[in-house]
Amino acid sequence: MYEDLMAVYEKKEGSPLVFQPRLRHWYDVNYNAGTLPERYHGMYLDEVYQDLGVPPREVWGPRRIGSELSGYFALNAVEGDDVEVWTRRLSGYMGMSEDDYLVTEYRTPVGSLRQVQRYTEHGTSLMNVEYLLKDLDDLKVFEHILGERSYRWDQNRYEWGKKRYGDAIPLRANLERSPLMWLIVGIMGFKKTVTMIWRHPQEMKEFMGILEAEHVKQITAYRGKPVAELNFGDNMHHDLCPPPYFKEYVTPFYQRVMPRVHAQGMVASSHFDGYLKQLLPLVGETSLDGLECVTPAPQGDVTLGEMKEGMGDMFLRDGIPAVYMCPWTPVETLESHVRELMETFYPRLILGISDLLPANGDVERIRLVKEMVEEFNAEL
Amino acid sequence: MANEELFAEIRAALVEFDVDLLKVKTQEALDRGVDAEEIIGVLSEGMDVVGERYQTGEYFVTSLIIAGETMKEALEVLEPHLSGHGVAKRGKIVMATVAGDIHDIGKNIFTTLMGTAGFEVIDLGVDVPAEVIVAAVREHSPDILGLSALLTTNLEQFPLIVEMLEKEGLRSKVKIVVGGATVTDEFAKRAGVDAHAKSAVEGVNICKAWV
Repeated sequence: MYEDLMAVYEKKEGSPLVFQPRLRHWYDVNYNAGTLPERYHGMYLDEVYQDLGVPPREVWGPRRIGSELSGYFALNAVEGDDVEVWTRRLSGYMGMSEDDYLVTEYRTPVGSLRQVQRYTEHGTSLMNVEYLLKDLDDLKVFEHILGERSYRWDQNRYEWGKKRYGDAIPLRANLERSPLMWLIVGIMGFKKTVTMIWRHPQEMKEFMGILEAEHVKQITAYRGKPVAELNFGDNMHHDLCPPPYFKEYVTPFYQRVMPRVHAQGMVASSHFDGYLKQLLPLVGETSLDGLECVTPAPQGDVTLGEMKEGMGDMFLRDGIPAVYMCPWTPVETLESHVRELMETFYPRLILGISDLLPANGDVERIRLVKEMVEEFNAEL
Repeated sequence: MANEELFAEIRAALVEFDVDLLKVKTQEALDRGVDAEEIIGVLSEGMDVVGERYQTGEYFVTSLIIAGETMKEALEVLEPHLSGHGVAKRGKIVMATVAGDIHDIGKNIFTTLMGTAGFEVIDLGVDVPAEVIVAAVREHSPDILGLSALLTTNLEQFPLIVEMLEKEGLRSKVKIVVGGATVTDEFAKRAGVDAHAKSAVEGVNICKAWV
């Protein structure tokens, strides 16, 4: 399987197709809610993967919410000596609850920043309630924090993951979202970012340059390490990032950082999980090697043909709309979609769900898709 | 300069997001003795042009956000001059992300656009229990109820809310529009709502057609 995944990165043809769905969200929510199917009672997540006969996506995920298994971010962030990070949970000493909040405060000599996040979906997901950056003054504080932040490769955790899954899955490591999407989704919010770019275009452009320097630090920290793929977690959507923004902030960013990635012998993909009709014609200019989680209609706004046309030779990871894994979608609809998806994208495909098995998804459909992939591979 | 010419400049300043010029021209109109309510009408015409440019693909959702911000600044100039009656609203909408879901980017874009389209928006926030939504419909008697959900696990709230509204005798008094990435036309139909919007702008257009 290791070679089959590497074949996608290396653009080799003839290797079997790999189906690599993300199950952790489904597992965690149902585990916490007490609704896991009886068959899986007493099993840990990797045993569920084994039972279904499919490999996990991110053995070495970022060891935080959203990553698969125990996780391995590969890098540890180290804050500067004069940066204090205070976190406070409002409840949930023993486990997590729906009403729990995580308050994070950065205290530095140049000012403080505060972010409030709320645990949701049975404590398995975190959403911003109060974004970290609220005005121009906050940009200065964050600039100070980032200026002192460094990244260290964690060899011990890598070795642990390698022993568990290293023969099956190449190491895929995560990076922050590209600067604009880091602001919009992660630290400033959509409306605030848009109005700040409108009111303070120069300051915001310079600040995005500071965020880009952070990517350079992260990519450099991976140099010489056994990483096959780097992934930017963009959560791209053309309403959040319309073509003029994409051309001004996103494409140039990727054009500057991708040569560094390739020079290190790695490939890179990005998480594009929103509406993309207006952006797919532009993705070829990014130099990205692949896109993750592009979601076709009816959940997304593009057909498989439009996806293929826009992505050209880039590889696609995922491609099955999550709603097709839900009981109310006829199984025949799922089957015919998977068939068309494989025919359209193989060999530039790592099959998966865009972007994960929903908590109320039918896990037996994983087994069904796995059998379809086996039949497909048997005919290669 | 005739008032019509000045109004054209106000519209153009709004459409081009020239906030400084817009404030100057808005003040100039007030200085000429034009009613604040009449100037709001001119601004609304400007917003219609912004909407048309969005429809033709010249503008994007981000442009609509900026247009809303630009208009807000003009309204601040007008506020001290508004009569106590306020500005007549096009209609009223109660909006919520349903219980169990706290995703709000799409909902917030939609409520912002509804506000600039002239609707009175009562935003109940995120993770709102069905009982609270039904109580808000009873209390505010909106023309429209907007429901948002991103997670497939929470979509079942839609038919539940419809059922509760029916039991309370409120269903026939309110139109229901739903949105969220995992909502499909098929599911919306099954849930018994009146419309499914694939985007915030489509949702606004649906609401405008209703009211």
